Amino acid sequence: MPLAVFACALVACAALPLRTGPQSAPATDAAGAITVAGAADLQFAFTEIAELFEAQTGHRVTLVFGSTGQLAQQIENGAPYDLFVAANIEFVDDLAQKGLIVPESVALYARGRIALVVNKQSGIRAATLQDLTAAQVRRIAIANPDHAPYGLAARQALESAGLWEALRPRLVLGENVRQALQFVQAGDVPAGIVALSVANVPEVTYAPIDDALHQPLDQALGLVSTSKNPAIAMDFARFINGEHGRPIMRKYGFLLPDETR
Amino acid sequence: MLLNRDWTPLELSLWISGWAGLLALVAGTGLAWIFARLNFRGKWLLEGVTMLPLVLPPTVLGYYLLVALGRRGIGPTFEQAFGFSLVFSWPGAVVAAVIAALPLVIQAVKPGILDLSRETEDAARVDGCSELQVFRFVTLPLIRASLLSGGILAFLRAMGEFGATLMVAGNIPGRTQTLSMAVYDAVQASNLDLANRLVLLLSVITFALLFIALRIGNQVRHGAEA
Repeated sequence: MPLAVFACALVACAALPLRTGPQSAPATDAAGAITVAGAADLQFAFTEIAELFEAQTGHRVTLVFGSTGQLAQQIENGAPYDLFVAANIEFVDDLAQKGLIVPESVALYARGRIALVVNKQSGIRAATLQDLTAAQVRRIAIANPDHAPYGLAARQALESAGLWEALRPRLVLGENVRQALQFVQAGDVPAGIVALSVANVPEVTYAPIDDALHQPLDQALGLVSTSKNPAIAMDFARFINGEHGRPIMRKYGFLLPDETR
Repeated sequence: MLLNRDWTPLELSLWISGWAGLLALVAGTGLAWIFARLNFRGKWLLEGVTMLPLVLPPTVLGYYLLVALGRRGIGPTFEQAFGFSLVFSWPGAVVAAVIAALPLVIQAVKPGILDLSRETEDAARVDGCSELQVFRFVTLPLIRASLLSGGILAFLRAMGEFGATLMVAGNIPGRTQTLSMAVYDAVQASNLDLANRLVLLLSVITFALLFIALRIGNQVRHGAEA
């Protein structure tokens, strides 16, 4: 008897979401919906841009953030994304060569910068990379340089400044630049090097790092070959690079493609 | 249809765990019966493999599943035949949860089958029951307590599944973002208010179910003694 009750409960549980779906597929079909895989440095800017795009077009945009390398890996494994918005063009070109990104759709949309962030309550004052060598800076957060372009830029900047070997034992690697920032925001790590575009949060002070110290962070996007809504995805791509997206990108510290030199 | 609807993390967690609990219970009970009753060459190997998910790092399990179900594995064939993908969709999360929950079901149900007096089953056979009737009317009712605890454990394990699911199904809001994924996402985005609410919700659901499972388990045991 209890077993029967349990089985019923399981089935009821499983059936429950079926009945509670007012905003299911038919409503969105008319307008259309896309899923955008975005590099973690875009979290703030893209949340704003996507809201604006949704308000103007009626389409729905689901944002998935992660490190560029991880998102590329997911696309290789068949993730159902419509648009890939990377923090480094190399990953987009690589996928295009493998036939997973439509080559004609690849476009630069921004150049990124990195910034030094310090938790306000840490009692540490650091404005330059050299300041990170102070003994109180016991841990430094960066994104994983192996698959996160902003982590790689942080590594290159430390190498150019001749600090990489000395500071390497203090590094804490975030899965992406957003997580590296979260370590500093929470105060578990006093300082870090993250994207300038996410550095303006209440818990930290930030200072841009000279972009001559690292390879340019040329950010590119591309249409995923398996996209079921390529028209909307390309609309969104143009929106980012257009009159509505550009001011928002600029606000978050990005340089725009034709303004880099 | 179900693949394109928009799920809240709570709905998705209950839906995936419901399916995973049910499937793991059925498959796990079958395997437990085989391990308890049959002897065959390579049995130790099969038993070992079904226990592996308990000790394998979730990332290893996730990687196996990704390779097996994705582009490099059965992915394209499966998608052609059934029209949906097993990776980066909720069915993939169900597969991961079933495999993670399977050893718990086997461990819960196998002792129940071993404890079963075979004379009772033989008596039913003497009275003219078919093998199917023996299983349905004698074996199943006698191990219902273990089935119940196995099923609830499987459901709870599925609710708690994270690592393998993240690799196989990703963390796509509305599609594959379960409660445990949503917690991870909220913490990463420094949205601690949301994280607190999600953590509370998950804790209450899992504890309540565990409590109910223990209560029912006790009642069944006392009932059997009386």
